[in-house]
Amino acid sequence: MEQLSKMEKAAALIRGMTDLPTIPAVATQVLSLLDQPDVEIDQVAELLLTDQVMAARVLKMVNSPLYRPATVITSLKGALVYLGLRHIREFILTCSFIQSFEGKEGVLGVKPFWEHSFGVGIVARLIAAKVGYHDTEKAYIGGLIHDIGEVFLSYYLKDEFQKVVDAIRENPVQLVEAEERILGTTHCEVGLCLAREWHFPEDYCEIVSCHHAPREAKNAPRLTAIVNLADLFCTVRNLDYGGKEWTSFSLADEPAWAMVQEQGKKLAEFDVERFCYELDDQVEEIRELVTNIFKDR
Amino acid sequence: MTISDKDFEVLRDFIYNHCGIYFHTSKKYFLESRITRRIEATNSPNLMTYMGLLKSGPGKSDELLKLLDEITTNETCFFRNPPQLKALENVFLPEIVAAKGKIGFRKLRIWSAGSSSGEEAYTMAMILLEKRATILKDWIIEIVGTDISETVLAQAREGVYSAYSVRNTPDYYKKKYFRQEPGERYVLSPDVKKLVSFNHLNLYEDAKMVFMKSFDFIFCANVLIYFDLASKTKVVQHYYNNLQPYGYFFVGQSESLHGVNDKFKTVHFPGGFAYKK
Repeated sequence: MEQLSKMEKAAALIRGMTDLPTIPAVATQVLSLLDQPDVEIDQVAELLLTDQVMAARVLKMVNSPLYRPATVITSLKGALVYLGLRHIREFILTCSFIQSFEGKEGVLGVKPFWEHSFGVGIVARLIAAKVGYHDTEKAYIGGLIHDIGEVFLSYYLKDEFQKVVDAIRENPVQLVEAEERILGTTHCEVGLCLAREWHFPEDYCEIVSCHHAPREAKNAPRLTAIVNLADLFCTVRNLDYGGKEWTSFSLADEPAWAMVQEQGKKLAEFDVERFCYELDDQVEEIRELVTNIFKDR
Repeated sequence: MTISDKDFEVLRDFIYNHCGIYFHTSKKYFLESRITRRIEATNSPNLMTYMGLLKSGPGKSDELLKLLDEITTNETCFFRNPPQLKALENVFLPEIVAAKGKIGFRKLRIWSAGSSSGEEAYTMAMILLEKRATILKDWIIEIVGTDISETVLAQAREGVYSAYSVRNTPDYYKKKYFRQEPGERYVLSPDVKKLVSFNHLNLYEDAKMVFMKSFDFIFCANVLIYFDLASKTKVVQHYYNNLQPYGYFFVGQSESLHGVNDKFKTVHFPGGFAYKK
């Protein structure tokens, strides 16, 4: 009942907005092209070139520290060859996602938002590899998009959302708890409405809606648990919306920790302390990446 | 001397595995310059030969201890670890105070183990004094600092500090709890001093360690890195026993106790983690 009312509230919020962000048409086209067997890189490049903004974004991203090419890549085809067909999908999604929220400066700030999103994507990929989850790329995309509801709240509901952020400053609770108390709904429900609006595949919808309650995930519980953990780690290692977020956790008490471990295979040897320190080393790189992406703005 | 990225990683792994301290990539330059000093001092022709020295003998080699002295800045300062202090002040302290308050046990005990000249213990004292009007009204507060060196203990008891020691101290605290004297001397207020007692203690001495009882918070930063695994395990077990149920144990900013004690629970918070009983 309570869940339903949070959902209704979120749906009403989304319905009330006339200028909702959209995913660029070319992205959807590229994604379906990539689903076809025997697709050639030339075809993808040709299609991408029909959207100049997108093409420019792809070049900028591929030359960022995240992908580290040895020399600067100047052609779109060069970029696609460098990435390899396997990674084009995540790449295009990333680029189009950034484009959709272009200029949506909200309470959270564009840079901290992307630092957290890329952070969770990258950390989710690391955790997926560590626990032997088969599709690390999916974990990355899941991490990248998990907080789409947050962009909406931070941009379209500025005044109310500011109250949420202020509440956390005075009394450290998780963002999601403060949202529920003050807004009557959270970024999880709002994000789910948005993800459905954009026709995201069901697994991603589930990540968006259940990343704070991985036990509720039905289709992709393990994937959702991976993103949940990545989110927790980012929040405690300086990728926390510029200090606007708060969380405290102990791995042993997190349901997600049990969920990510393969049956019969315990990750007892996992050195969580070292993992944290290694994440610190990545923070600078992630910041640099985000700075590069938004350099011209 | 420049160290290649690969050698840096080998060195970082070695130091982490033997001492439990992690060198972040941003500290590569620092590590490079400090290790160069040791390579020169030992007349080692190159890093490889020097690594051989580090690895010589069982347990921690003399050279490793010398290197540790070079790479851990020995001097401490007030408000050294802000994320840790913030989590303690906003979350762990209210949590413990609420739990103890419920059973009417209004006494808080804190231990700064390896207190050096007292900055950490006094920082806690100032933070707790600020809570005197609210959650710690009518509470008994006991803060104990211990160290093996009588010289630093004497400095701690004196409570006079340089500008360098207070470089991280927020102005609010500097004005309220220090008196500034000519020559950049900062004299600590008696209100802070009387909350803390300093005693000599060797962490290896089991007979004395068992008497350090009933602490709510124990701090031990950059001390255990000098111990070998067996001693580390023993000392940390003492800390575990010396804590109240649900008490917290904190280590230094880049330290790790992974594999030392599996009874503690690692509790993460923004910018750090603590070990909880």
